[in-house]
Amino acid sequence: MRHVTTALLAASIAVPAAAQQAQLRPDQQAFRALYKELVETNTTVSSGSCNLAAERMAARLKAAGYADADIKLFPGPAERPLDGGLVATLKGSDPKAKAILLLSHLDVVEAKRADWERDPFTFIEEGGWYYGRGVSDDKAHGAIFTDTMIRLKQAGKPPKRTVKLALTCGEEGGPFNGAKWLVEEHRDWIDAEFVLNEGGSGKADATGKPVSLAFQAGEKVYQDFTLETRNPGGHSSRPRPDNAINELAAGLVRLAKNDFPIILSDTTRAYFTEMAKLSDADTATAIKALLANPADAHANEIVSRDPGWHSTLRTTCVATMLDAGHARNALPQRAQANVNCRMFPGESVEKVRGQIVERLGDASITVTPRASENPKEAAPPPPLSPLVYGTAVALAGKHFPGIPIIPTMSTGATDGRYLNAAGMPTYGMPGRFGMPDGNGVHGLNERISVAGVMKERDYLFDLIVAYAGK
Amino acid sequence: MRAALAPTLLAPTLLASALVALSAAPALAQMKQPGEPAFRALFKEMVETDTSVTTGSCTALAEKLAVRFKAAGYADADITLFSDPAFPKEGGIVVQLKGSDARRKPMLLLGHLDVVAAKPEDWTRSPFKLIEEDGYFYGRGTFDDKAQASIWADLLIRMKQAGKPQKRTIKLALTCGEETTYAFNGADWLAKNRPDLIMAEFALNEGGGGRYGPDGKPQGLAVQVGEKTVQNFWLEATNPGGHSSVPRPDNAITDLARAVVAVNTHEFPVQFNDTTRGYFTTLSKVLPDPVGPAMQRLLANPADTEADRIVSLDPTNHSVLRTTCVATLLEAGHAENALAQRARANVNCRMFPGTDPNALKADLDKVIGNPKVAISLKPPIRPLYKAPPLNPAIINPMREIAAKHFPGVPLAAMMSTGATDAIFISPIGIPVYGAPGLFLDADGNGIHGLNERIRIDSLMKGRDYLTELVLALANK
Repeated sequence: MRHVTTALLAASIAVPAAAQQAQLRPDQQAFRALYKELVETNTTVSSGSCNLAAERMAARLKAAGYADADIKLFPGPAERPLDGGLVATLKGSDPKAKAILLLSHLDVVEAKRADWERDPFTFIEEGGWYYGRGVSDDKAHGAIFTDTMIRLKQAGKPPKRTVKLALTCGEEGGPFNGAKWLVEEHRDWIDAEFVLNEGGSGKADATGKPVSLAFQAGEKVYQDFTLETRNPGGHSSRPRPDNAINELAAGLVRLAKNDFPIILSDTTRAYFTEMAKLSDADTATAIKALLANPADAHANEIVSRDPGWHSTLRTTCVATMLDAGHARNALPQRAQANVNCRMFPGESVEKVRGQIVERLGDASITVTPRASENPKEAAPPPPLSPLVYGTAVALAGKHFPGIPIIPTMSTGATDGRYLNAAGMPTYGMPGRFGMPDGNGVHGLNERISVAGVMKERDYLFDLIVAYAGK
Repeated sequence: MRAALAPTLLAPTLLASALVALSAAPALAQMKQPGEPAFRALFKEMVETDTSVTTGSCTALAEKLAVRFKAAGYADADITLFSDPAFPKEGGIVVQLKGSDARRKPMLLLGHLDVVAAKPEDWTRSPFKLIEEDGYFYGRGTFDDKAQASIWADLLIRMKQAGKPQKRTIKLALTCGEETTYAFNGADWLAKNRPDLIMAEFALNEGGGGRYGPDGKPQGLAVQVGEKTVQNFWLEATNPGGHSSVPRPDNAITDLARAVVAVNTHEFPVQFNDTTRGYFTTLSKVLPDPVGPAMQRLLANPADTEADRIVSLDPTNHSVLRTTCVATLLEAGHAENALAQRARANVNCRMFPGTDPNALKADLDKVIGNPKVAISLKPPIRPLYKAPPLNPAIINPMREIAAKHFPGVPLAAMMSTGATDAIFISPIGIPVYGAPGLFLDADGNGIHGLNERIRIDSLMKGRDYLTELVLALANK
């Protein structure tokens, strides 16, 4: 996933490292084989093939009894033919019940063998961990969802709802995004009442004890803006009172100084309510005060000290790139900055543009949104419905007793943005607990706890069965 | 030119000694009707040959000029095309017109072929096309420095064609790299490798000129005697960075932006030296209230901030009075979706003569007041430039001939606010003077900026003036 979860920045794993290879149930052994095959299929944008991974998963689905007509393998476009994926459908018994969609991405972030301790494309079990690129992001979900489809088929009696599986390519920034393509070109293949996706990530304390599960409902929306000032320029030996660099720099200082207003959604309200329970007394008091009155500047000051919370509370816009001037000895004729915004769900590009202009306080700085796929009116966050959220909470109580489940909004983006924008509420499923170092996701030596992923699989299977209905 | 002009007026104290009457040069009569069409053609070729360091070639232009010199009758031995093999596009040319009197030392005419880069997408007109519009020539280099360089080249062609040599040998050096601090510099190369080619009693260069007032009328002429020196600094802010979805309270771009605003808005203290004191004294007597009286108060007390405010409303006065520093380049960040790990600015300082660059660095440190912004001196760190003497044998003819060509327009010795190639030529013992003659509009004519231009009338009158001046100095 491309997102960074809010304040639930990874803590440590719940399950202590095992000394030798874990003893697995027969169904877990079958899952392990599928998972291994998926991880060992290189799906990087540089040298991998999502098609191959999709074909291998399709072969397993067919072996489990899926008809050819139930599996759609699609290639990437002409310039990226290997960036394909698959959609599989298990027809439900009740034609009136709406479908659910399991969404996962096949592609992984690049991994250089020379930089890793172990081969990133060999599925290695060591000390209670599975190592390999994608074991967490996002092939754990990909394997669990595919395995679930197989088990549901093998059970013989279909659930009430139709269950769909979409495995796509390009989530990690590849040039062709399969989820977007499906929404735009084959909405009927994937249409569903709601979508289960990556994006939920739990937290443990420093000793490895689970603290909380995360249920992701909504994510901030990515939007870049170009800020530009112009000036006639001239010779740098003769500075003029107006100056393109100075005006841009002064505007950026004001932009950095003036936070955007606090916005609370159902998700973030629930999130902070839970966080108050887990925080020290002073922080808890500040959180409660802020929930009661978002204009409470003192409370805001305390809560926003945590950068993750700061970002969860509002739209953020930060200058990430500068480019100005054309010669060392000439006054700049043009100064440009890229300002990267993470818009709170429901905020429009035009509104955020206006908020930037207001903060810059200088009409000579032009502010232009950069081309993006964002709809004019951003989609509000998916609702915390009793069906989707309530069921997840109830089953979490069984699988992870005593661990609170916390609704979260991601400050970064997953493919959920395309589906949410298209009116298909998309949720990041709980069940996993992150490490303080982020488990090497997007980095080196990506890993996941063997016991942890097995527990996650059990939880998600029960949850999907519950959603699909008997 | 890397110099920028000051408004100019006659400084009578500098010119107290009487001028030896100008004797008519032998070939002068024939040159009273100069071939303007030929000059226009040469100027057009100069401007339309892109000589920017990014996309152009000085060598190509030097070769075109060599063809013209040969056609005018110069022997191959009198033409030297030079370039450093490592910089094949940054060549130049030296031409020699032998004098008739071997006892007289040569004089050097110096100009640069290269121009500041110009992006066509930012310009209203094509920068490398000579466009005539409303009495102006538009194009990159139409002023800096292809106006004077064309006048020099045209003059050497005409003098050769006229047949009769002048008393002094006249040397012309047109070089590359003047506009770009880090580029190969042809004047530097000649001074170090072929001083014989350019050795002279004195040199005339860019850096002087003249200025029109806001009413468009000639305000003053200047001979440049001394110049400010350049020092570039890097300001750099660093930060651990991270994912842009979770901004941290500290940010490299914000640190840098604050530093840039602090530097750009800081005023260094007012200073005077002999040249600028004479210059402002003269100016103060003729400028109306409130500027003239304010200048007098400032001369009496450089700490008079209110007087400084009034005088410094003119950006050139502002720059002549002090060291200036301005941010000219910014670069920061490595991805749109990542917090910047590094943000950098180039700060271009023009140091008042006598300023120690390390002391200036300490001043900037204080102005910025943020240890997270590192300041470093960017090479080259050049030795302080020595101003040439106020030699009456050169300044007086300049004034006398100016009085004839530009009656009523005063001429002053001035210090220019920027640097020219004089910093390379001076160390080998050639005093370099910025010649008067070419007038700038009050708005600076877009030099180094957009839509560079020159008044056609100014170009032609400047050509007439410089022709007579060179002849006078060559035959004295």
